[in-house]
Amino acid sequence: MGAELMAQESEERQRRVRRSALLWLSVAAAFYFGYIVLTLVRAAR
Amino acid sequence: MAEVHAPAEAHDEHDHKPHGWRRWVYATNHKDIGTMYLIFACTMFFIGGAMAMVIRLELFKPGLQFVDPQFFNSMTTMHALIMIFGAVMPGWTGLANWMIPMQVGAPDMALPRLNNFSFWILPFAFTLLLSSLFVPGGAPAGGWTMYPPLVLQTGASFPMLVFSIHLMGASSILGAINIVVTIMNMRAPGMTLLRMPLFVWSWLITAYLLIAVMPVLAGAVTMLLTDHFFGTTFFTAAGGGDPVMFQHIFWFFGHPEVYILILPAFGIISEIIPTFSRKPLFGYEAMVYAVASIAFLSFIVWAHHMFTVGMPLAAQLFFMLSTMLIAVPTGVKVFNWTATMWRGSLSFEPPMLFALAFLFLFTIGGFSGLMLAIVPADYQYQDTYFVVAHFHYVLVPGAIFGMMAGVYYWLPKWTGRMYDLKLATWHFWLSAIFVNVLFFPQHFLGLAGMPRRIPDYAVQFTDWNMVSSIGGFAFGLSQLLFPYIIWKCVHSGERIGNRAWEGAHGLEWELPSPPPYHSWTTPPSDAVIARGAAH
Repeated sequence: MGAELMAQESEERQRRVRRSALLWLSVAAAFYFGYIVLTLVRAAR
Repeated sequence: MAEVHAPAEAHDEHDHKPHGWRRWVYATNHKDIGTMYLIFACTMFFIGGAMAMVIRLELFKPGLQFVDPQFFNSMTTMHALIMIFGAVMPGWTGLANWMIPMQVGAPDMALPRLNNFSFWILPFAFTLLLSSLFVPGGAPAGGWTMYPPLVLQTGASFPMLVFSIHLMGASSILGAINIVVTIMNMRAPGMTLLRMPLFVWSWLITAYLLIAVMPVLAGAVTMLLTDHFFGTTFFTAAGGGDPVMFQHIFWFFGHPEVYILILPAFGIISEIIPTFSRKPLFGYEAMVYAVASIAFLSFIVWAHHMFTVGMPLAAQLFFMLSTMLIAVPTGVKVFNWTATMWRGSLSFEPPMLFALAFLFLFTIGGFSGLMLAIVPADYQYQDTYFVVAHFHYVLVPGAIFGMMAGVYYWLPKWTGRMYDLKLATWHFWLSAIFVNVLFFPQHFLGLAGMPRRIPDYAVQFTDWNMVSSIGGFAFGLSQLLFPYIIWKCVHSGERIGNRAWEGAHGLEWELPSPPPYHSWTTPPSDAVIARGAAH
């Protein structure tokens, strides 16, 4: 594999890693706040 | 002609690494971080174990012997928190750190600095939790489930408990994100999902569980904190809140947590049994789907922990039947492990012995779990020693034996040396015998009506408590062999080649023992991957 191609692939992989880390971090945050909101909504009923 | 640059990681092919304390404090290497996780887990295992010894010492005879009831309750609470969050979870993360990059053909974890951060949160979290033993009012004593309103009566240690849980949760979530991202993005070309070893699969599914449920626990304890300090009434009935709501939220986390503790063990057993049967795993894909099904079902069974709070009949039936449904994929796994051994060329080295004990004893824990799933029976068993026996059968010969099997399986790979097989076999037999002496009588105590979490008991429970305590002391003492065997292996074990076990398959066995500092700086070829994925 050419060096340029490898560098491109490495950059693309870094982008994918960053994107998926942020995605799963937001899923975790959604669960955290979601359950607090859920309890609030239930208490307001 | 364009200049040809070497790949970015080429200079890392040499085995140079930082030395001294910097190697560990600034560690970004998956093996170093894995080692730190494992040492931390082992330390916590012995601290939590010492607390279990206090519990069994107090329960050796009826009456109050050594500790006051408040301290006894602190011991049960801290023992659980330390074993779950300090020993088992970091232990699995340590194994994941060591093995996942090697097994998927990656040079390291995808996010090495995050990996360092995930680990170094833990010593702070547990220092905080353990130091609560020394504050006025003592350590938390309301049980690891932290049910309000009882937990809101905790003294100065309450915010320490909540903050340490937040730290442990953050560490687990970041670790889980790193594992998912590594598995999804760092696999070598040709390492398709259905070629991955079962340990990697089971960890991938465990990591998804962690991402989904650890924030829920964090949310629950945040609400407890605001109830305690800021006048909210999320779980306080007097202000319109609902204490039972906490139990629902807690067990929405708590039941998948049980699978977080056990699924990686399923993965390890699925690696070990084929190796020592010298046969490919029976029904690889079925095993993957079974783990995924168990993980899915773990989200819809939580209320079986709280049948006695009172819930509609339809809800009781739903949670009872969904819980029983878990027996189906679990049965598939037990069947496939047994079928893998069928007509295999078996040998009984320590990893296989621990795997077989796992198979028998975890199944006993599974059966008592089925008994507890039956609503009318659960009304009888709720909060008795039967429950204690059940979950210890799942977690000790389940999670702990699974972890020991994993360490005995991969230790020669990590160190490049073989450990003392005779001593490890002794460790196995002492553990396997005394774990049963310790926990089996607790079934009888529970069925006879002995409640859990009490420092004193009626005299008719004396005999089986004595037997259980003797089993506990012997089990605890026999665990001291474990660090000694590892220490001896590291210092004077006999050197071994790449493949420590004759029947072992997988990419990790293609690397030298011990493996280089960065595992796969050049991705393995398709032929090597195909040879490794011999299922």
